[in-house]
Amino acid sequence: MDDDGPVIETKGLRKEFPGLVAVDSLDLRVARGTLYGLIGPNGSGKTTAIKVIVGLMRASAGEARVLGERVPLRTNRHRLGYMPQDIAIYPDLTVRENLEFFAGLYSIPKPRIGSRTEEVLKVVDLLDRKDGLVSQLSGGMRHRVSLACALVHDPEVLFLDEPTVGIDPELRVGFWRFFQDLKSKGKTIVLTTHYMDEAVRCDVVGMMRGGRLIAEGTPSSLMTQTGRGNLEDAFLEFAGRVVA
Amino acid sequence: MRLDRTLVVAKKTLRSLRHDRRTVAFVVLVPLLMIALFGYTFGGELKDVKVSIVDLDQGVLGNSLGKAISNDLANSSTLMIMEHYGPGQANASKADAAIGQVKDGKVWAAVVFEEGFSASVLEAIFNMTHGLPVEQAPIKVYLDSSNPNIAQAVSQEVQAAMQRVLVNQYHLVSPIVLDSEQVYGKGAEFIDFFAPGVMGLAAMMVTFMLSIVSFVHERSSFTLERVLTSPISEGEFVAGYALAFGLVGLAQSLVILTTAVLLFDVRIVGSPILVLLVIFLLAVGMQGLGFLLSSRAKSEFQAIQFLPLVLFPSILLAGVFWPLEAVPALLRPISNFIPLTYAVDACRSIMIRGWGIEKVWPSMLILTLFAAAMLALSAYGLKKRG
Ligand SMILES: Nc1ncnc2c1ncn2[C@@H]1O[C@H](COP(=O)(O)OP(=O)(O)OP(=O)(O)O)[C@@H](O)[C@H]1O
Ligand SMILES: [Mg+2]
Repeated sequence: MDDDGPVIETKGLRKEFPGLVAVDSLDLRVARGTLYGLIGPNGSGKTTAIKVIVGLMRASAGEARVLGERVPLRTNRHRLGYMPQDIAIYPDLTVRENLEFFAGLYSIPKPRIGSRTEEVLKVVDLLDRKDGLVSQLSGGMRHRVSLACALVHDPEVLFLDEPTVGIDPELRVGFWRFFQDLKSKGKTIVLTTHYMDEAVRCDVVGMMRGGRLIAEGTPSSLMTQTGRGNLEDAFLEFAGRVVA
Repeated sequence: MRLDRTLVVAKKTLRSLRHDRRTVAFVVLVPLLMIALFGYTFGGELKDVKVSIVDLDQGVLGNSLGKAISNDLANSSTLMIMEHYGPGQANASKADAAIGQVKDGKVWAAVVFEEGFSASVLEAIFNMTHGLPVEQAPIKVYLDSSNPNIAQAVSQEVQAAMQRVLVNQYHLVSPIVLDSEQVYGKGAEFIDFFAPGVMGLAAMMVTFMLSIVSFVHERSSFTLERVLTSPISEGEFVAGYALAFGLVGLAQSLVILTTAVLLFDVRIVGSPILVLLVIFLLAVGMQGLGFLLSSRAKSEFQAIQFLPLVLFPSILLAGVFWPLEAVPALLRPISNFIPLTYAVDACRSIMIRGWGIEKVWPSMLILTLFAAAMLALSAYGLKKRG
């Protein structure tokens, strides 16, 4: 594989739904070891862009590559992790059974599954609930299980669609420490968020609006470009420029 | 194709069924209830059907055939004689009274022997043996045919009684003997006939329902999306589900077979393993169909609407409760498109006729092709999405 190039690359990516362009001429380049934050208002196309990149939706035009391979991936799927925006786990399985299932899909050897399960459960702080049924967990806990399932096979590239929604502040801090930790191990993470205090912690922030990437850069460069003291105002400034 | 991933999916599917107690009950109890209910409803023989007898027969030389037949009928366990008007007391108005009882629904039938019954029977016998024209013997049965089964049973009883009496008293045997030898199913009862049918029906019903609901769930809870970003192929995923629900079908068949044998004395002449294999194929095919249809449904509620659409033709046209020969010719072609038809036919042949794979293979081949087609279409449908 092309391991020196960008881990994620899209060129002119476009996704149309009947009567609507959800993603429009999206050009992304994400280098290895980057924590990339996609921000933008509801319906700006963040989720759709991710779904096209992970191969769940077919692009209407343009192309996307992950780890040098054109999507939909064939050979590199095991190196990719994806956490959907909606909690995507089985409510009628226990926490551990969910993790074992997803780990099994990646053909992780049996003994390793056990240790990985413990590891990711520690990250999401659910070790004590591992034998409980998911349907009996709180909403935030389910969200944490959903994240754990995306991590269990220790992927190199992670797409996390709003991983911290509904998570209490204390745990959120823990999550970010963990993301930084993954990053330092050379993992590449693309996540979406509506929390600006989280976006500031990303290496690169991409701002989407109406399916287009209207600005991209490090948080500080985005703020200096607009002369604003926070990302929120910077975003509004960029959005205003697009409209103008 | 990697077997380990298929097994992972099968294991997950069975595990999630296990955690849901109601589903487990559904899987085990539905077939149990079905076989028990149908067994007790249809399995019983007719007993104590109420009839009245009016015997006006005067007899010939002190010998009354009417009396002899009446006595024979009185010994029948199928019939229960409510009123028996003998020759002394019987007169035409008694006959009217008996017919009135039928009209009032008090008895199912009134059997009336006319005054000259014995005489005309003897005359008929004489004419027959001398090559003269024969007149019908006037034994009259006034039937309430609102229940065809009962009406038929009464007619048969009366005819059988007459035969017996003629044989006993006059050593007369009808020149035509229906010498039917039972090639298969010696001593087979109705329950033997429909136990295989109920088994197939239960397996297809439950696997179809479970799979259609599971897949709608799998989609609406986005777990399917997550699964499809993993290295598992669509085919492996579909095969995993097929394996799980095939096993569910097997478990149900075991419950039904055991119940049928222990409770209803159903005999299995052929190989039970072969029966289970047939049901497995049916279950796999039906879960595939459930998968396909579920992709057309947006909610569990919509999915459930497919149920009667698939279920009713199977119940009515697949030969579960009555033979295919009883299906109107117009609808018969539909029977040929129902997988259950082949499963029931194969199971019946194995269980009653004792056929082996060398004879039931055509049905099994069709079931295999059906299952394979469903799985292939399901996998293809998954690939095509988005
Ligand atoms: N399956 C679909 N069919 C039709 N339209 C869709 C579909 N999925 C998304 N859309 C539309 O595409 C647009 C982009 O949606 P998307 O989910 O990508 O937004 P988002 O940026 O993730 O929003 P949010 O912050 O609310 O998660 C929206 O207008 C949405 O209505
Ligand atoms: Mg979204």
